[in-house]
Amino acid sequence: MISIKNLHASIEDKEILKGINLEVKAGEVHAIMGPNGSGKSTLASVLAGREDYNVTSGSVTFENENLLALSPEERAQKGIFLAFQYPVEIPGVSTTNFLKTAINQVKEARGEKALDAVHFLKLMKEKMKLVDIDQALLSRSLNEGFSGGEKKRNEIFQMAMLEPKLSILDETDSGLDIDALKIVADGVNTLKTDKTATIVVTHYQRLLDYIVPDYVHVLYKGRIVKSGDKSLALELEEKGYDWIKEELATV
Amino acid sequence: MMIESTLLSSLTDLSHGNQAQKDALKMLNEIGLPHKKSEAYKFTSITSILEKNVSFESKEESKVDTSKLYKEDGSHLVFINGVLSNKDSNISPKLKLEIRAVTEGLHDPFSLLNTAYAQEEVSIESGYEDPVFIYHFNTNGISNPRIKVNVKDGHTFRIVEKLITPEEKKTFTNSYIEFTVGKNAFGYHTKVQNYNAETFSHETVVASVSRDSHFYNNTFSFEGAMVRNNLTINLADENCEGHMYGLFLLDKKSHVDNNTSVDHLKPNSYSNELYKGILDEKSTGVFNGKIYVRQDAQKTNAFQSNNNILLSEDATLHTKPQLEIWADDVKCSHGCTSGQLDEDAIFYLRARGINEKSAKAMILNAFASETMEYVKVESVRNEIQSLIDKKLM
Repeated sequence: MISIKNLHASIEDKEILKGINLEVKAGEVHAIMGPNGSGKSTLASVLAGREDYNVTSGSVTFENENLLALSPEERAQKGIFLAFQYPVEIPGVSTTNFLKTAINQVKEARGEKALDAVHFLKLMKEKMKLVDIDQALLSRSLNEGFSGGEKKRNEIFQMAMLEPKLSILDETDSGLDIDALKIVADGVNTLKTDKTATIVVTHYQRLLDYIVPDYVHVLYKGRIVKSGDKSLALELEEKGYDWIKEELATV
Repeated sequence: MMIESTLLSSLTDLSHGNQAQKDALKMLNEIGLPHKKSEAYKFTSITSILEKNVSFESKEESKVDTSKLYKEDGSHLVFINGVLSNKDSNISPKLKLEIRAVTEGLHDPFSLLNTAYAQEEVSIESGYEDPVFIYHFNTNGISNPRIKVNVKDGHTFRIVEKLITPEEKKTFTNSYIEFTVGKNAFGYHTKVQNYNAETFSHETVVASVSRDSHFYNNTFSFEGAMVRNNLTINLADENCEGHMYGLFLLDKKSHVDNNTSVDHLKPNSYSNELYKGILDEKSTGVFNGKIYVRQDAQKTNAFQSNNNILLSEDATLHTKPQLEIWADDVKCSHGCTSGQLDEDAIFYLRARGINEKSAKAMILNAFASETMEYVKVESVRNEIQSLIDKKLM
């Protein structure tokens, strides 16, 4: 589905990603772990198309198309979804209104018919259940005054509404209590099919108890330095990241 | 010396003037029109701009296009160059209206100018007729429309005011409207300023609010060569409220200056002010908000905020809050912000599949719409919303 080759990216001349290689196929869940400052969130942002980052070399192919040539909205329209680490508060724009615009622009880009108000509401009701989110919350200004948990649930709700092919969850677990974490994970698991893929970016192993990855990659200083199955995550949880740093130092 | 400028000397003679007008002219001669160093006109050098730009020799008159009137029930008052035109108006017989000799007004230079040179003074009174739409057509260069509104005890009165100017001719309109709001009454005044590059105006709104009453002014500015709004609200008694909402959404070389003042004279009164600016291209926006809390006015609550977004490096903004408080038991706050569009917010919307243009429009629309809360006339509300949409698209 997505193929990342030797990806280098920098911000304000500081190189953050120093040659990332990653291949994600439909039906797979990949976890990207790593200590703070290793470049995890940068990778997520670059994939979603944030323009603050400058891709200096390498390539990203999404369903046989050069992803890096596309604008953020085109990427979303083609099926990439980024669940933000820090969802932005937008005063005066309700989640409902914003999502209706988003869904219909995505549909338009795909040459599909726009959803009318009735079908939109029906879809919304159905997806709201999935993440246990309240309608009152959705008619309020987008994320404004939402608790941390509400913001993250709103991210997964948007993901459910947009039905992406590739979901990138950027530290979706950070700041969530165990109940909210379970709700978020259940939501993600329910949405998973053999045609979709998920990249879970996280600092902690905890989320991976609920969203079980097929592969775990350790990102350190802008490179993937170790890959393995879910047992790698457990090992990291137990030992921390220092042993990887040491292992690298001895090489 | 200023008074001998082309601006004043070109005005019609004062043979029609009564004593109030002669007094006003005398006072104006003493103080003169604002000049470069006048603090209140620091960012809007209106006198010299008018001298340079506007020729007041009466030329051929342009047409009055009444298709621009609102399609809504109520009284529609059409003024042509400051004179009420019965032929073009649609006035309900229930509306109490009087055309009378000019009476005294405020004593600042442009109010005096209006008092001195107004052709007539139209006074209207609340009663069974609401809302009242007032249209000022300026067809021949300069006009001084003058209106007094009386909102009687216990009444609600909605006034919508609009200036309509030709695109092919430079015009200067110096309007004056004065509200007297009785006890336990509500006055709503909304202005839509969607002019053109040839329109210069100085627009004075003054309201005196009595016990238990509310006055709302909503001013929406979209285009004009130079527009100066002077809004003065006197909260003259206990338990009254003054509300000031404004939006200036400008581009090209438009210049809009909002100079507002609310004066708390007695205890337990409340004022709230919210002005928002969106400035694009080479436009200029000015906000000056004064709050006075007199010694008697204990337990005053006064809030002011002015938020601005600059969309272009060539746009200019001047914002200045001014609080003068003599009472010691009051709650007052003011704040102003100015910045660019929030790039994080735009990226967030784009990452959900919304194109950049729509994302920006969505954010700016939400920002602007907050000022519309007290526009209580449906067709005007719709007009403002569509002007906002049009500007942002």
